[in-house]
Amino acid sequence: MRRLLLLLPLALLSVAAPCSAHVGSPDVYFQGQAGPYPITVTVRTPGVIPGIAVIEVRAADPGVQRIHAVPLYILGPGSKYPPVPDLLMRSKDDPQFFSGHMWLMSSGSWQIQLYADGPRGSGATSVPVPAAARGTLPMPRALAALLVALMILIVVALISIFGAARREGSLEPGQAPSAKNLRGARTAMGVTAAVLMLALAGGNLWWDQTASAHSRRMIYSAPALRVSLQPDSTLQLHVGDSKWHSSRPDAVNADLTPDHGYLMHLFLIRTPGLDRFYHLHPRQVAGPDFVDDLPSLPAGHYQVFADIVRSSGFPDTMVSEIDLPDVSGKPLAGDDSETVAPPLSNVAGTSASETFPDGYRMVWERDASPLVANRLVLLRYRLEARDGEPAADVEPFLGMAGHMEIVRSDRSVFAHIHPDGTVSMAALSMAEQSLNSGEALPAASAASQPPSPMAMSMSMSGSGSPLPATVTFPYGFPKPGAYRLFVQMRHSGRIVTGVFDCDVQ
Amino acid sequence: MAHSAPATFPATATFPVQERAAAAAIPWELWASACGVAFIVTGLIWDISWHMTIGRDTFWTPAHICIQLGGILAAWTSAYLIFSTTFGSNAAAQAASIKVWGFRGPTGAFLACWGGTVMLTSAPFDNWWHNSFGLDVEILSPPHVVLGQGILGVSIGTLLMIVARRNRAEGLARERLTRLIFLVGGLMISLHTILLEELLEPAAMHSAGFYRVLCLGVPCILVALAVASDYRWGATVIASIYMSVRLAQLWILPLFAADPKLGPVYTRVTHMVPMSFPLLLIGPALVIDFFVNRMEKRNKWLEAAVLGPAYLVALLAVQWPFGDFMISPLARNWFFGMNYFGYFMRPQDYHFVWQFEPAATRGLFWLGLLIALTTATLSTRIGLALGGMLRRLRR
Repeated sequence: MRRLLLLLPLALLSVAAPCSAHVGSPDVYFQGQAGPYPITVTVRTPGVIPGIAVIEVRAADPGVQRIHAVPLYILGPGSKYPPVPDLLMRSKDDPQFFSGHMWLMSSGSWQIQLYADGPRGSGATSVPVPAAARGTLPMPRALAALLVALMILIVVALISIFGAARREGSLEPGQAPSAKNLRGARTAMGVTAAVLMLALAGGNLWWDQTASAHSRRMIYSAPALRVSLQPDSTLQLHVGDSKWHSSRPDAVNADLTPDHGYLMHLFLIRTPGLDRFYHLHPRQVAGPDFVDDLPSLPAGHYQVFADIVRSSGFPDTMVSEIDLPDVSGKPLAGDDSETVAPPLSNVAGTSASETFPDGYRMVWERDASPLVANRLVLLRYRLEARDGEPAADVEPFLGMAGHMEIVRSDRSVFAHIHPDGTVSMAALSMAEQSLNSGEALPAASAASQPPSPMAMSMSMSGSGSPLPATVTFPYGFPKPGAYRLFVQMRHSGRIVTGVFDCDVQ
Repeated sequence: MAHSAPATFPATATFPVQERAAAAAIPWELWASACGVAFIVTGLIWDISWHMTIGRDTFWTPAHICIQLGGILAAWTSAYLIFSTTFGSNAAAQAASIKVWGFRGPTGAFLACWGGTVMLTSAPFDNWWHNSFGLDVEILSPPHVVLGQGILGVSIGTLLMIVARRNRAEGLARERLTRLIFLVGGLMISLHTILLEELLEPAAMHSAGFYRVLCLGVPCILVALAVASDYRWGATVIASIYMSVRLAQLWILPLFAADPKLGPVYTRVTHMVPMSFPLLLIGPALVIDFFVNRMEKRNKWLEAAVLGPAYLVALLAVQWPFGDFMISPLARNWFFGMNYFGYFMRPQDYHFVWQFEPAATRGLFWLGLLIALTTATLSTRIGLALGGMLRRLRR
């Protein structure tokens, strides 16, 4: 069992792997309506699959009495029969807070359906949860030491037992062992020791192979993204093959589906200062190949994040880097946008507002409390017109009231979120359709669903009615550090991107 | 198959009737240890059914508690025997004990204690494995094999305690202890086949691999206990007990309503899903008994050279045609259980259960059977040796 002996140094290592849907930000944050009840939801996804997710729900309405939750796939055969829903535990100290555990038994595009009961009847909503193993855990040092000690005890004990059994086992009661018995005992102990050593060596080999096979099969990796600049200032992107995806045809699927109108959302961020930001939408030219007509941009080293969503609702954020010269490109058009900001390191502390060239101003409405890692926070922004009043001409941008891109200073965290939360809008739409179809609902809980905030935004986009000037994003920063937040809204046909920096404890 | 009664134990005929009955009673330590093994088998079957039906798995599921209770019952009983023998004043017990690290007790008690320790060791290992690689998705994982070794230790330890006691007993006590050996033997065959369950599906019954697997441990256990039991139909009785256990779970578990508690649920399940129909081991066991009885005085290698092939031929003769039946629609009923599927089974995959695995090339198939033949011969030879050792065991 050399493996066990190797565990002590191994215990010092940690395994980090990218996770699906954003980078380094695996937990799901969501706000929505369960029928008449506004709720915010946090799903802390497990590091390994099969594993147990922790779900926390806060109901804005104190009248909500019970919340049931049930996990199932968004699409496909696994979405047909829900398991028995779990009743979330209501906090005694905070009756509006509910929590529970959800078992996610395989990787893929899941949803957690929530059923709330209160004085205004029942209501339901669905939260998409992409599940993917992020790594394997090293064995804690204390456990490794305990197991090694037990292994030594077990081996020595078995050798001793076999020796004693050979020495005395076949003797009549009271009879003393002979010299032959003693020799036989020594032989038995030697043979037992040799057999055990062979068994342990074989076991070690098997353990290595099993653990390695598990890791290869289970741990998620985003497809490789190859990025290159062409002489005509177009950016070519090639999405590589991923065995992790192709081996899960039902749960993940390799085909792409548009997410708020585009197959790919591309973010170019100049490093190390994060002082240039581009949100672009490459077009698919063939299968895994995309191109984008770059706008004019200055030379530098750019971090590339590319968001795509599979037809199962499973999102991927692919990561790459590229050195670009000064590019003389085409003017920005449509939903593409850019912004310029001071380098992150030159900004002290937390920024609270940004004034745009057109006189509009974006204000971060936040109290004095510090931002704490892994805690749900509602990031709230108000767009003000030139007169300082809330802007009355806010329009949907890509079908929503706003978009936010969150980048940690070392780029180990990237998240592209919306007012509904960190979930992919395409997955949310699929989950809502699944919920409204009633196919997966327990009969007693099948309630009529109000339109989602996204749907409302989409309809507003069509009607031309202005949106509120304030937009809120639910999020939990995954670890402490310095973050830059890019907040994007649209007013009177113009996209504005506010840049805010903050320190997270 | 003559046996010499130990000099320290008076002949049965010298006891009055009541004393004879008392002397014939099976000591509670042996019953408790045998019950421990029965708890382990029950818990394992329950646990596998739990995984196929309910799915949600924690250390504290009733099935896990049943397994651990079984291990604890057998190990603690053995520990009690060791401590009471070592520190007590029972001279007869001390005389019939072996000495390990200064402690005295029956050989089987030490092995059962060892098995209990290994079972307990597997618990934190398995927990870490779950946290590191995910909750159970397979039977044959490294921590489960460690658990299996512990269970094996408890079972063999229990068996050795009973055998040693029986070898020193006479008359009614000997008969009763022999029956207890059969019970534990049947449970051991059940344990062995549970561990190999994934390789013994009906879909594999026309592949050489199925027979290779069944030539590993089963003939060894059957032969060893047939020899050790001194009973004409020892292997047959043990195989019957194994089949009874498996039939009981097949017919009883579906009577209990249950729902999956995790997804994705591909097959709607409304009751506990049992394990599969038993292997028809009674056929090969009859053959083993036949040859063991007739070749007792022969060279053991010659005996193994007959027993191994005879076991394999008998196994082929019953399992091959039975495989045809099991994959047919005739077996898709409560009696044979081929219509039961776990919640995780996709309906589009049912056909994999109802058809044989892709056939290997003819050469590979015969090579596989040749390996099975060699394995069966070696396994029966080891079984003969172990049987002889068991017959000589006194402490």
